[in-house]
Amino acid sequence: MAVGISGYGVYVPRLRIKREDYAKAWGSFSATGVSEKAVMGYDEDVLTMASKVSRRALDSIPLPASKVTRFALASTSPPYAEKLLSGTVLVSLGIPSDAFSSDHTSSTRAGTEAVIAGFEHLAGTPSGHVLVASADAPTASMWSSVEHGLAAGAAAFVLSASDVFAELEGHASWASEHAGERFRPRGQEQIHDLSVKKFSESSFVANTTKAASAVLKRLGRKPEDYAHVVIQQPDARAPASVAGKLGFTDAQLAAGLVSAYLGDLGAASVPLGLAAVLDVAKVGDRVLAVSYGSGAGADALSFRVTADRKASPSVKEEAARKEYVDYVQYLKIKGAIQ
Amino acid sequence: MAHVSVPMYWRTIPQRYRLVGHKCKACGAINFPPKGVCKGCLTSSDFEEIQLQGLGRVHTFTLIGAGGAPPEFAEQEKAGGSYPVAIVELDEGPKVIGQMADVSPKDVRIGMRVRAELRRIYSEEGVIRYGFKFVPAEGA
Repeated sequence: MAVGISGYGVYVPRLRIKREDYAKAWGSFSATGVSEKAVMGYDEDVLTMASKVSRRALDSIPLPASKVTRFALASTSPPYAEKLLSGTVLVSLGIPSDAFSSDHTSSTRAGTEAVIAGFEHLAGTPSGHVLVASADAPTASMWSSVEHGLAAGAAAFVLSASDVFAELEGHASWASEHAGERFRPRGQEQIHDLSVKKFSESSFVANTTKAASAVLKRLGRKPEDYAHVVIQQPDARAPASVAGKLGFTDAQLAAGLVSAYLGDLGAASVPLGLAAVLDVAKVGDRVLAVSYGSGAGADALSFRVTADRKASPSVKEEAARKEYVDYVQYLKIKGAIQ
Repeated sequence: MAHVSVPMYWRTIPQRYRLVGHKCKACGAINFPPKGVCKGCLTSSDFEEIQLQGLGRVHTFTLIGAGGAPPEFAEQEKAGGSYPVAIVELDEGPKVIGQMADVSPKDVRIGMRVRAELRRIYSEEGVIRYGFKFVPAEGA
């Protein structure tokens, strides 16, 4: 049975702040390769973004919400630490209340984790339809350089065993123990990072390459078999170090490198990167998607595009729709001035 | 602040989150928000639920600014500046009031196409009150 993606939708909040505005305020901008980033409006959060992309993903097929049998929500920055999050989105769309819903949080790997959980549902319920929404807007102290790249965005996928346009070929994961990079103690809203760069990078590279190599080996594939590769983007440079190690080129990274103009999208990073690739992929293209979450874990999923289906709006169209804010406006919108 | 208790808010969630309206079984009029007695025939209170599409046109609008926002929206105005509030004529007929989002106040026009989507309205007692706002929907 072939399972895969049958529809998708994306959303990028309209506000942007440029790296120059950070440089003016702080003297530097720490998110390498990021020229500007997307910022949520005052009345948005990850649940409102998830509602919007979920609607768009269903409309891309189109599939009525009443047909959804499984709903998964992924985010590291939900508005509540305890309370069912997916229920808000499910009710806003009219997804049946007896659809099994799940919340995936606490790791930027949550987006792909939710996708894999969705595919597992199809193994037992092949006639079902899975909706997976990843929406994220991580926050950190304005004093912390890790805050510079943190942005907001969302992507959703409909997964099915029929009417698929990007078939799942296989997936693999890797989990290990690393501490000190990007963590949030219980009860705190802002992420910490001990900023031991070399240590963080070694965890990022080790976990992602383990997961990616495992799926390549299982499928008997080489990097040159892929038209595109999408790798977790804490900034716009990190993916290149992993790609290089695995034998992928910058050209294979290019279409999915959304962080260069949107910033660090947390758990929505790989989902939005994958959507940007699907926007331009041709029938027959293979796509490898590799996520990373600190602490640390990674998922790698291999897809093959089997039919021409594009979502509207595209990532590029969403990225082009924007209004700039300066750093003081940014502080106000983020509620950073108490 | 216009206090709406959590149970009162909860009862109206289908209309606030996804525009579930009422269709009068006697005269066919669509009521939104749902009423006790039909606004069309002014007699029937026999309804069936109907899912509105959330699409409509700006009938008229105003800008709330210069400290004029009600207390529950004061912080929003302070952080994000003045915001538009519109009366929108839905494609199914009813006229509803709502904030507009995702648009510069200077770009709002009477007659513009809009779509309802889920937003944070305000918070009270630590509970986020979600509901619909209207965003531009060219071509829809």
